[in-house]
Amino acid sequence: MIAALQGPGTRLTYRIRVIEPAAVAPRVVASGAVSGPLDSDMRLTLRTDTAEVEALFQVTAFDDTVTVGGEFLTRRLVGRSRRGLPLWEEDSYRRLVRMTWSDTARIYPFGTSLAPAVAPRALWVELILERHFAGGEGRATEQFELLDSTRDLSIEAVVRPRRARIILNLVRGDTVSGPRPMDLVLEEPPRVVQLVLKGRATTLVVSLTRPDPARSMRDRALALDADIVCLRVSQPAVLQPFGTICGRLNNVARQLPLPSGDTLAATFAWPGAR
Amino acid sequence: MADTTHEEWLAQIDAELDGELSLVERAALAQHLATCGHCAGARASHLEVRVALARSAGNPHAFVLPRPAIRAGTLALWLVVALAAGLVGGWFASHRWGGPGGGGTLEDTRGTIVVQ
Repeated sequence: MIAALQGPGTRLTYRIRVIEPAAVAPRVVASGAVSGPLDSDMRLTLRTDTAEVEALFQVTAFDDTVTVGGEFLTRRLVGRSRRGLPLWEEDSYRRLVRMTWSDTARIYPFGTSLAPAVAPRALWVELILERHFAGGEGRATEQFELLDSTRDLSIEAVVRPRRARIILNLVRGDTVSGPRPMDLVLEEPPRVVQLVLKGRATTLVVSLTRPDPARSMRDRALALDADIVCLRVSQPAVLQPFGTICGRLNNVARQLPLPSGDTLAATFAWPGAR
Repeated sequence: MADTTHEEWLAQIDAELDGELSLVERAALAQHLATCGHCAGARASHLEVRVALARSAGNPHAFVLPRPAIRAGTLALWLVVALAAGLVGGWFASHRWGGPGGGGTLEDTRGTIVVQ
């Protein structure tokens, strides 16, 4: 499913403008765009002294219409405790609208209430969705300009990797084998890899899987674990794996001790552009 | 009252018969009269003198000691005043400082998406 959506062809762009009402005319506080394969999501964060809104927007395209879903997590300052500490109210909910590609969606992250404590200056976010030919570009891109530096706003592209670049090293004491880079596709059949250290070859079977769903509701709702992959390492012809290494695609080497006494170091990274 | 002299107790008896003693002072006097026959006798004499004086003044009934009394109407009035003050104070404090949760409905404070 994801492979089909991430194929070359269509690219999705979330174009946003954060607008604040003003005395004369509405003022643009920030603008930006997030672009990527059709299954790309956009994470929006807005913070004020009295409210925080984090939202993950996902789209489902169907012909000329598109359904925009938003998972909202909000925190609102509702008062102070008897000891003077702030009391926050946490809320999570989902919003769903259907629109055509040429429509503009107006998102009121703090609600439409006119109470200033609830809706700080009642700003809104204009969202325009665009789709266009990918032209061979498969990577997600972000562009964001904050015109009012007093505001705490951000947008992020959320892309679930379809494949990952894994660099394997075998470590024995202070000796390290040469790096063995591999381009692995998620949920594909395991592959056999041989690492040689000091003339001794170690054969391993590796496969790339997705991690278990995040335990935290916030992590699940905001897809904070979207770029985490797990490398399953086992011995040939043995069902029971040595272990599984999970991590983000962030070029950090993660280690797994092997029964032979050696240590396998696996570095996860985004694959190079095709 | 432990060091009160006999003359002072007699003055207290006079004040009691005039209705000028507080509840605590009357209790102390009653305690003293229970143990002091001399003072109890003096009080009886004072009472007889007052009764005689009252009768000679044309009052056939004995003089009655005035007792502090709480009227039901006054009590009810103060209860109503206290209740009203509590209600107004509570409403004002709730309005001014409020409780956690703020005003308005939850749905008003939630984000919405509107297609234009």
